[in-house]
Amino acid sequence: MTIKLIGFLISTSTLRVIICLKELGIPYELEPPASFQSLKDKDYIANKHPFGRIPVLFDGDFRINESRAICRYLVSKYQGKYNNTILIPNDVYKAGLVEQFISYESCYYDSPVSQIVSQELLAKKFWGKDPDPEVLKEARKNLNKVLDVYEKLLEGKEYLVGEFSLADIFHCPGTNLAYGIVTHSDLWDNRPNVKNWWNNLCNRDTIKKSFEEYRA
Amino acid sequence: MTIKLIGYPISTPTLRVVICLKELGIPYEFEPPASFQALKDKDYIANKHAFGKIPVLLDGDYVINESRAICRYLVSKYQGKYNDTILIPSDVHKAGLVEQFISYESCYYDSPVSKIIGQEVFAKKFRGKDPDPEIIKQGREDLSKVLDVYEKLLEGKEYLIGEFSLADIFHCPCTNLAYGIAAHSDLWDNRPNVKNWWNNLRNRDCIKKSFEEVKN
Repeated sequence: MTIKLIGFLISTSTLRVIICLKELGIPYELEPPASFQSLKDKDYIANKHPFGRIPVLFDGDFRINESRAICRYLVSKYQGKYNNTILIPNDVYKAGLVEQFISYESCYYDSPVSQIVSQELLAKKFWGKDPDPEVLKEARKNLNKVLDVYEKLLEGKEYLVGEFSLADIFHCPGTNLAYGIVTHSDLWDNRPNVKNWWNNLCNRDTIKKSFEEYRA
Repeated sequence: MTIKLIGYPISTPTLRVVICLKELGIPYEFEPPASFQALKDKDYIANKHAFGKIPVLLDGDYVINESRAICRYLVSKYQGKYNDTILIPSDVHKAGLVEQFISYESCYYDSPVSKIIGQEVFAKKFRGKDPDPEIIKQGREDLSKVLDVYEKLLEGKEYLIGEFSLADIFHCPCTNLAYGIAAHSDLWDNRPNVKNWWNNLRNRDCIKKSFEEVKN
C-alpha cells in the first residue's frame, strides 16, 4: 500500500516530509485536505492530528504526524530500501552531530527565518496587514548572528556535518521561502560558506524538484 | 573514561540530560561552568558550544551539545548497556509515536510552560522584574488548550505512549518548575489523566532524585 501524505505544498512542514520522501526514493501520494478550516473538524482532530495540523502520514494502518517525527520514522523504516541515500548515519557519533544540527535548526535558525517569512509572505495574505519593519529588523539581526556561527561551522564542508543529512533537509523549506525574497537573500549570499551550502542544497535533484512543486 | 556533563541543575535543558543519564544508569560527572558569563568566552564557543549554551556532554574525545541531541546519542549508544530501561523502543512504529510526542512537547507544550516559568521563576532572579500577569494569563490559556488534548491522549495510559519513554523525560524539567508554583499546579491537577501521568513521573526514583538535585 502506497504511503499517503496529507498536507499542503505551501506548508513548510509538509515540504520537509516531501523532500525526505523524495531523497529516500519512497513512493507516496500527496492528498491535500479539503481546506485549512477542515483541519479543525472533529473528525480530523480525532483521527488525523489532535492539534489540527498538517502534515499527517499514513503507512498502511500506521498513522504518524509532526513533520520531524515523520521524517525520523521514514529514515528508520526505509533508509537504504529504495536507494543508497543516508540521512541519519549508522555511526552513533556522526548521528549525534546530525541531531545536534537538527536542534540548532529548531532552536536558533527557525525562529528568525519564520519571522521574516511570516511578515513578508503571510501577513498580507492571511491577516491583511503590511510587513512590520521593526519585526523584520529584529529578525534579520538575530539571523545574522546565527548565520555568523554557521559560516564558521561550514568551513571546509559541503553540508552541515560534511555529508548530506537529515539536518540539511530540515533547514530547506524555511530557507527556500526567505531566500526567495530578494531583499533578504543577502543574508546567505554574503557569507561564502553559507552561500556554498545553500547552493549545494538548491542544486540537488530531489530538492530542486520539491521546490518546483511548491512553486507550481 | 567517565562521561562529563557541563551545565547547571536549574537549567531545564541540563536537567533533561541528567534524567536521561540516570534513567539509563550511565555513570557521569557533573561540572558546572565557572559562571554564566564563561559561556560566552572564545574558548567555550570554539570548543564546547558554538552558540554559548549549556548543556554540553563530553564522552572521551567526543563533544556533543543540545539537550535533545545529547539524549538521543545516549540512547543510541548506551540503551540496554547498564540496565533494561527502554527510552526509544526498537519497534519502528512505537519509536515513531515517541518522536511524535517529542515533537508535541517542542512545538506546543514547551512554549506556554516556559512563558509561565519565565515570569514566575526567572523574571525577578535574572532580570530584576516582577512577573507580568498578562504573559502569565496567556501562558495559562495556551497551556490549558494543550493539556485538554493531552487529557484525551492519556486516556487509559500511564505514560504518553503507554510505556515510559524519552518523550516523558523531555516534558519533565519545565513541568517540574511550573507545577511547583502553587498558583499553577491546578492546570495538571484538574485533569485526572494528566494528574495521573505527572504523578507517575515524579514518583519514578531517577526523576525524584533529579528533581531533588535542582532543589539543592
